[in-house]
Amino acid sequence: MLGPVLETLIGGLLTGVLYSLVALGFVLIFKASGVFNFAQGTMVLFAALSLARLSEFMPLFAALALSIAIMIALAYAIEFLVLRHLINQDSIILFMATLGIAYFLEGFGQSVWGSDIYSINLGFPTNPIFVLESIFPGGLLIDPTELIAATICAVMVLVLAVFFQVTRVGRALRAVADDHQAAQSVGIPLGQIWLMVWAVAGLVALVAGMMWGAKLGVQFSISLVALKALPVLILGGFTSIPGAIVGGLIIGAAEKLSEVLLAPILIRTFDLAGGGIENWFAYVLALLFLLIRPQGLFGERIIERI
Amino acid sequence: MALATSTAEDTFPKLLIRNARIFAQRTAYRHKDLGIWRKWTWSQVHEEVRALALGLAALGLKRGDKLAIIGSNRPRLYWSMCAAQALGAVPVPMYADSVAEEMAYILDHAEVTIAVVEDQEQVDKILSISDRLPRLSQVIYDEPRGLRDYDHTRLKWIDEAQKLGRERLSGDGKAWWEASVAQGKGSDLAVILYTSGTTGQPKGVMLTFDNLVVSAVNANRFDSLGPDEEVIAYLPLAWVGDHMFSYAQPFAAGFCVNCPESPETVAENRREIGTTYAFAPPRIYENLLTLTMVRMEDASRLKRAAFNYFIALARRCGEKILNGEKVPLHTRLMYRLGDLLVYGPLRNRLGVSRVRLAYTAGEAIGPEIFRFWRSLGVNLKQLYGQTEASVYVTAQPDGEIYADTVGKPNIDVDIKVAESGEVLFKSPGVFAGYYKEPEKTAETKTPDGWVRTGDAGIIDAKTGHLKIIDRAKDVGRLNDGTLFAPKYIENKLKFYPNIREAVAFGDKRDFVCVMLNIDLTAVGSWAERNNIAYGSYQELAAHPAVYDMLAEHVEEVNRSLAEEPAMAGAQVRRFLILHKELDPDDGEITRTQKVRRRFIAERYAPLLAALYGGAGEADIATEVTFEDGRKGVLSARVKIRDVTPIPAPSVLDKAA
Amino acid sequence: MRAPTAGEVLLSVDDVSLAFGGVRAVTGVSFDIRKGEIRAIIGPNGAGKTSMLNVINGFYQPQRGRITFKGQTRSRMRPYEAAIGGIARTFQNVALFKGMTALDNIMAGRTLKMRRGFFWQIVRMGPALSEEMEHRLLVEEIIDFLKIQHIRKTPVGKLPYGLQKRVELGRALAMEPDLLLLDEPMAGMNLEEKEDMCRYILDLNEHFGTTIALIEHDMGVVMDLSNRVLVLDHGVKIADGTPAQVQADRAVVDAYLGVSH
Repeated sequence: MLGPVLETLIGGLLTGVLYSLVALGFVLIFKASGVFNFAQGTMVLFAALSLARLSEFMPLFAALALSIAIMIALAYAIEFLVLRHLINQDSIILFMATLGIAYFLEGFGQSVWGSDIYSINLGFPTNPIFVLESIFPGGLLIDPTELIAATICAVMVLVLAVFFQVTRVGRALRAVADDHQAAQSVGIPLGQIWLMVWAVAGLVALVAGMMWGAKLGVQFSISLVALKALPVLILGGFTSIPGAIVGGLIIGAAEKLSEVLLAPILIRTFDLAGGGIENWFAYVLALLFLLIRPQGLFGERIIERI
Repeated sequence: MALATSTAEDTFPKLLIRNARIFAQRTAYRHKDLGIWRKWTWSQVHEEVRALALGLAALGLKRGDKLAIIGSNRPRLYWSMCAAQALGAVPVPMYADSVAEEMAYILDHAEVTIAVVEDQEQVDKILSISDRLPRLSQVIYDEPRGLRDYDHTRLKWIDEAQKLGRERLSGDGKAWWEASVAQGKGSDLAVILYTSGTTGQPKGVMLTFDNLVVSAVNANRFDSLGPDEEVIAYLPLAWVGDHMFSYAQPFAAGFCVNCPESPETVAENRREIGTTYAFAPPRIYENLLTLTMVRMEDASRLKRAAFNYFIALARRCGEKILNGEKVPLHTRLMYRLGDLLVYGPLRNRLGVSRVRLAYTAGEAIGPEIFRFWRSLGVNLKQLYGQTEASVYVTAQPDGEIYADTVGKPNIDVDIKVAESGEVLFKSPGVFAGYYKEPEKTAETKTPDGWVRTGDAGIIDAKTGHLKIIDRAKDVGRLNDGTLFAPKYIENKLKFYPNIREAVAFGDKRDFVCVMLNIDLTAVGSWAERNNIAYGSYQELAAHPAVYDMLAEHVEEVNRSLAEEPAMAGAQVRRFLILHKELDPDDGEITRTQKVRRRFIAERYAPLLAALYGGAGEADIATEVTFEDGRKGVLSARVKIRDVTPIPAPSVLDKAA
Repeated sequence: MRAPTAGEVLLSVDDVSLAFGGVRAVTGVSFDIRKGEIRAIIGPNGAGKTSMLNVINGFYQPQRGRITFKGQTRSRMRPYEAAIGGIARTFQNVALFKGMTALDNIMAGRTLKMRRGFFWQIVRMGPALSEEMEHRLLVEEIIDFLKIQHIRKTPVGKLPYGLQKRVELGRALAMEPDLLLLDEPMAGMNLEEKEDMCRYILDLNEHFGTTIALIEHDMGVVMDLSNRVLVLDHGVKIADGTPAQVQADRAVVDAYLGVSH
């Protein structure tokens, strides 16, 4: 009994790392602009599409380099065309702007790259690995693709986390999100900061898109992956980088475990037709958190003096 | 390990030279400035003081002159005292928050020729009265900000003065300095400290080097203070307590004086340094406690439960453990646990983790508060003293600590209680006299060298400790002959955190009435927790719920008075809550928080009349002085409450 | 009362008009600010005073007119350029970084003065670190001047309003500005706080020579502090002169009493 559970747990954690990465993109932009980037999912899709299609014409490394350039250019375009004009506006307006960017990007991506399902071949081994064969009969099964994807994402998450937490960027970013007026009047270059942050978010989207694309194939539903990041953010707090990491792991693990452990109980108790808990469990968990601890595990409580 | 001094080091400048020799590299002073702690060793201090002394000499300060020192606790102001003394001049420290009028009187009476002040604020005050001070030839300032454009003919930056002094060093400066210091002797006048009198003009208490040095050495010996101590200097320079703790005793023992960054950062600075020896009037200990309790009310339930449990435990056995009495093992273990979880962190937050000795004096301290601190493991003791005694008259020895006594006579001190109940003492610290006031001196010092303290007290038969009841002249009688000691009653009332100040009336009256001030911190936070809205101090002070709460306190005090046969008749019958806090700027209390009963009786005459006339409320309009000197009028309708006195237990017994 | 200064012109506003859609915030306003003076900008609510400051500061771009600052004339200026040029600003409703401590907020004011570029500061390694000590010393002097040592480590969100305004002033001072724009620095303060603020502003001007433009409603403060006064009403300049002149001006009195003209 323990074996399968452990296997599921490992699988869940590996998926969780991917979730963390996507969530991180949200967190960065939220910290720097104070806006929830509705377009993060489409950015993942767009990045994945670019890579998939470009790799049909050129070697993978070249396609990767070009995709990076594209995402940076995208960040620049967003800052120049959209963000710059919305300085000092309410965050709801900025949110609407990201909504617009999302829909635009979706349509634009499909016009340019096409709307079929594409694949990304990253050259990862596909034979399942078996570990801990001495303890558990038959060993635990781990998908090497997932493992490698998770490792790459983990490295990226750590690098970003360290960079933004240890250096003063974390503080500067929060200052900028706090009060645009103040930041500007002190001479902090808002435009430059946003450019940098959106570029990083774009790169994060690229890596996430790459990994998901290698697993599921590049298709429209990838943008829905971003929705899964929502429970992660609720759990971890919208402004916390460690929160995104921990939240992602928890959601990933909880999802898979609920499918294996909870589903059979529910099916038997309520005489349900089938499982599919995996799809909605994360959201239920998020809902619970909203009720008990809305700021998430690591988020900040708003302290305001009346 | 305290340092006895030989007769060779009988003045502070001589002690400085000694310290520079034997404690050369030890830190003598620290000051937090611009966020950083700056420090000076004894040898550096010696150099600074010498430069300053030579500079002051160059500016005209001579033997016998008076040097005023006005400001908050800054190293250079302390050094000015020593520099003046080295020249045979006499420092006259003054309260930094005096208004110009008060300063004018003292500067004139003391015949001050040079003043060393802290900053622009003090300079401005002096300039505003300079036309009344023809003798004042120079004003020297420590902090130059804001003074750049001032006329510098009679104004100088202290650095400039020191520069003048250092120029002389290349010539005969060093020899001259040593000769000047050598000229001083123990019987010379060391300092004149003006007491803020509760009645009349301030009197200048003259203390000699012998007074201060011998008292300091004895005190250091009494409590085993050595060169490793750390103290924080935050009490007024003009007060004898600070002069002893932050000047005399450090010089005698060689320990370090830390000057805080600003009055608001004292608590934080105390924590940073980790002082080992504390001295504060009871008010400070009360305030720290109130603040802690208030903060605790906002803590989570778990924290509060733990806190309450362990504090109750401490109340039961903490003091005993501190006194070294026998306590069952399991209780002792629980106390250790409490130390780890609650008392230790609490002491840390209060800034007293390294304090091994804390004194309180100046006023009676609430027994609850006193015991609370001791139960936390802080060795808080009481002492009793006066400016005229160079502080020390009695102090509580270790192992004999009681909440309601002030201890036994210090080393070389004798005390006796006169027929009238007044306490007298004789000691090496007895002052030389009041400056230019021979009659007042004769009133206070008897021909055979005993000093009248002006306090009434008794010597407890059981413990041999002195107990102070009240100011001798304030002890009066009600019309029915009952003893009326206003301070006694006021102190009992002030023990409650909600009551900041109390003024009792009853002499030659039929019964006792009391005017109260609420403590804004304590009552304000209580009001917040009980959803009582208030827009101002006045509104809160007039609120019926606050009256109810204070009425309970008064009743409890009455109950404790009823238990003492002599006091039972002096229970409080009526009280009111004043609409504004008693303020030294309005002359209602002194700068050391002692109430001026007569003045208050005059100022609030309508209220007093209503109290004794039986009215339920009264109107009052008082003139107040704002911080900038402007005047305004504050008016209010104050309510009066009756309190039923409690019959003495003997009466009840008879009835039963 | 203070006499007008004779310094050279530091900032001159030339026929500036600003409109938002149909609302004309400022119409054809021209005035100048001389070096070393305290210039008060007064007027009834809605007169366009804050809009005027926002134009000088670069937050709003006027449709017409030019601003000449330190000899350089431009028709459009961005906030970053204003900051680099030496203009510092405080806001009506206190624009502080609420999550940061008072010390950090004031340090933020040193952003432009750090020789190493912004991105080096961000990374906070190597050369930027030694520079930080210098800046910290200056910031501590400002903290000492404003007497806020006891709150230097407190997050500003927790501070009472009066102290927040002082911290904001500190941050503006940290920029070592040539021109300091204060938008209602005394709003919401009690008497004591107002007097403290007045003293700080006067000290800044008298001892450090900072040129100050301030919007203020309290007439007493305006009379005591300023060398010259500019009066706006409904976006139009209606008076410009010494406090005494302006006080006696008929148009000004009318504007405040609400008499339309």
